[in-house]
Amino acid sequence: MMHRRFIKEGVVVWLATFLCLGVNQGSAQASPYAKYAGTTIVVNFPAHAFYDAATKLIPEFTKETGIKVEVDKVEYMRMRDKQLLELSKPKGDYDLVSFVCMWKTEYVSKGLLAPLAPFFTNPALAQPGYAPQDFVPAYLAIAGLVGGKKGYMPGPTAALYAVPFASETSIFAYRKDIFDKYGWKPPKTYDEMLKLCRLVREKEPKMYGLTSRGEAGHQVSAAWLFHLTPYGGEVFDDNWEPAFHKEPSLQALRALLEIVKTGPPGISTFAYGAMADAFLLGNAAMYLDSTAIPSMVRNPAISKVMGKVDYSLHPKAKVHSTETGGFGIGIPANSTKKEAAFLFLQWMTTKEADRKIARLGGMPNRLSTLRDAQLQKEFPEFKAVLENIKYANPDWRPIIPEWPEISMQYLGTAIHEVITGKKTPEKAMNEIREPVRKIMERAGYYGWKK
Amino acid sequence: MAQQKLFKGITPYFFVAPAVFVLAFTCLYPVMKGFELSFYDWKLGTPMASRQYVGWENFAWAWRDPALFNSIRVTLIFTACAVTAELFLGLALAFLLEKGMRGIAILRTAFIIPIMIAPVVVGLIWRYLFDANFGLINYLVQLVGFEPKIWLGTPGLALPAIIITDIWQWTPFMFILFLAGLQSLPRDPVEAAEVDGATTWQVIRQVKLPLLAPVIWVAIILRVIDAFRSLETMFIMTFGGPARETEVLSLNIYKTAFLSQRLGLASVNAIFLLAFILLLSLGFLMIARPALAKK
Repeated sequence: MMHRRFIKEGVVVWLATFLCLGVNQGSAQASPYAKYAGTTIVVNFPAHAFYDAATKLIPEFTKETGIKVEVDKVEYMRMRDKQLLELSKPKGDYDLVSFVCMWKTEYVSKGLLAPLAPFFTNPALAQPGYAPQDFVPAYLAIAGLVGGKKGYMPGPTAALYAVPFASETSIFAYRKDIFDKYGWKPPKTYDEMLKLCRLVREKEPKMYGLTSRGEAGHQVSAAWLFHLTPYGGEVFDDNWEPAFHKEPSLQALRALLEIVKTGPPGISTFAYGAMADAFLLGNAAMYLDSTAIPSMVRNPAISKVMGKVDYSLHPKAKVHSTETGGFGIGIPANSTKKEAAFLFLQWMTTKEADRKIARLGGMPNRLSTLRDAQLQKEFPEFKAVLENIKYANPDWRPIIPEWPEISMQYLGTAIHEVITGKKTPEKAMNEIREPVRKIMERAGYYGWKK
Repeated sequence: MAQQKLFKGITPYFFVAPAVFVLAFTCLYPVMKGFELSFYDWKLGTPMASRQYVGWENFAWAWRDPALFNSIRVTLIFTACAVTAELFLGLALAFLLEKGMRGIAILRTAFIIPIMIAPVVVGLIWRYLFDANFGLINYLVQLVGFEPKIWLGTPGLALPAIIITDIWQWTPFMFILFLAGLQSLPRDPVEAAEVDGATTWQVIRQVKLPLLAPVIWVAIILRVIDAFRSLETMFIMTFGGPARETEVLSLNIYKTAFLSQRLGLASVNAIFLLAFILLLSLGFLMIARPALAKK
């Protein structure tokens, strides 16, 4: 009797020990998130349609991982000041930042972002099925790669600092109802598009041609960039000498001037929001800007043109060349919760999350989402986006650390003088050659010349 | 006895000391740092230790920078136009509303509402009023039969639009100061003039205005200094555009520091601003002193 009890107890103890061990072993192997459950990370997001959709996914992330996320939302053009201050502190408040790709080189040159390789090489953190090759290649390059060709393009020396999250290319959107009414076809070339701009003014008294950004500084500079590379122009030549005053660049500027003349009134004051509004409220018949527009067209709170819009390829001038831009997310070098932030970054950019965000109204960052037949039925614009991605130009603008200053302070002033009729394209662009050259010289671009 | 005297001499300093320390720390220290920084090349987002000493290079750059001189010109035009208009409108309103009339309390309250609104909000309100597509002003302009205008995006129109905004916001400030001044004037000289048969206009010109002079000077000094530093309305309404037509000195400093990331150069520009305000204040004080002394 005694004996049997001993055996019984022994078995129980043995079993319990085994189970405990098993559980212990289990917890060491179970969720990679367990270690970080209860951690709160702070992320800095822009006020942007994609991020509105993405934010809706955060509760699901927290439920699955136990990692809490605090979102600090900021108007996107004000993010740079704030991030530069936060990221340069010894210990920052942000664990993950979204930033416009045009700031990436500057951030990396100042050592503000953590390289992502240490996370992707850590098996406890990197998810096996993450499939980075599925990101639109041009998006991954523009949002995340720094240190390659010219410093901002892919190349043997490039490293990854961010992944695409609301990366974008350009897309042409037009009012299908108006185009059908007059039997117009979406323009294939700039000449056709500019002709349509004039035609809209002639036929539709209450409507204007193509909407455009135009506020002095970054916005008007971006407006010009959309036309620059299709005309074969460039900001700098291969020796970093200014090229924005040369003929192709001036042609792009003349096209912009024509667009402003036939466009909705007030373009010279339009930032992205007001520019999109002109299209969404039905004042402008055409839109040629980032792929952020379709979800806005579909939002009844801000759009009067739902169901009346179709999309096509960015017209060609000399060549087909579409924008590469938008946002990426990266991890600040001064974050104290980098691993948890990486898990969030990874979770939010998986194939599944990308598809979910697309359903919530965000433009996909992955090819699998864009090519999904079911989603293409729901979001017909995906086909046009794929078409535009074919021509995504990695050298759409020179994303050097000096770019924000050159774009906002010099190009953004000169081009504004042109669209407000104060100066001719030739005069305005030639006048800023010397000052821009001085900035480049100061930074050391010409020191290597023989 | 002597000790007591010494003690008495020190006492006031003792009481003022905390205020002086606080002021020195919060005002003087940053200004000194600003002076120091103007000799360095330092980019935002890099450690301060990595900044480089460049001597007078920033000053030389500023001296050749057309944007800086443009912003000084814009600031001068803006300040001169806005403050002059506010001065005359404020005076006119004060004289009009000096005597009691029905509903005056409501009117006075209504007049000071603009001062209480944060400048950023004022900027937003007027940006929408001046909006080319949806703005009330364009609607009114069309009602009277004129062509609608792109107020904030057309050279030659944006600065006046911003001056109008400033006048809207700050005329009440002048008005309140002048009204208080008028109501505290001694009655005797005014009555004496009236008994002597002076017209209302004569009373205003010969009696009230001279008596009001100290208040007027103080109001002008305060407003000029304020207008020189103003930033928010331009920041919101035009961000300095069209091109740089509404880029006042403060906005130029902001852009140099935050867009161009050149903190040293921005410090030089800030020193320019400080020097201007200092000179102006001194000048006004010199002119105003006789008037102040009379009182």
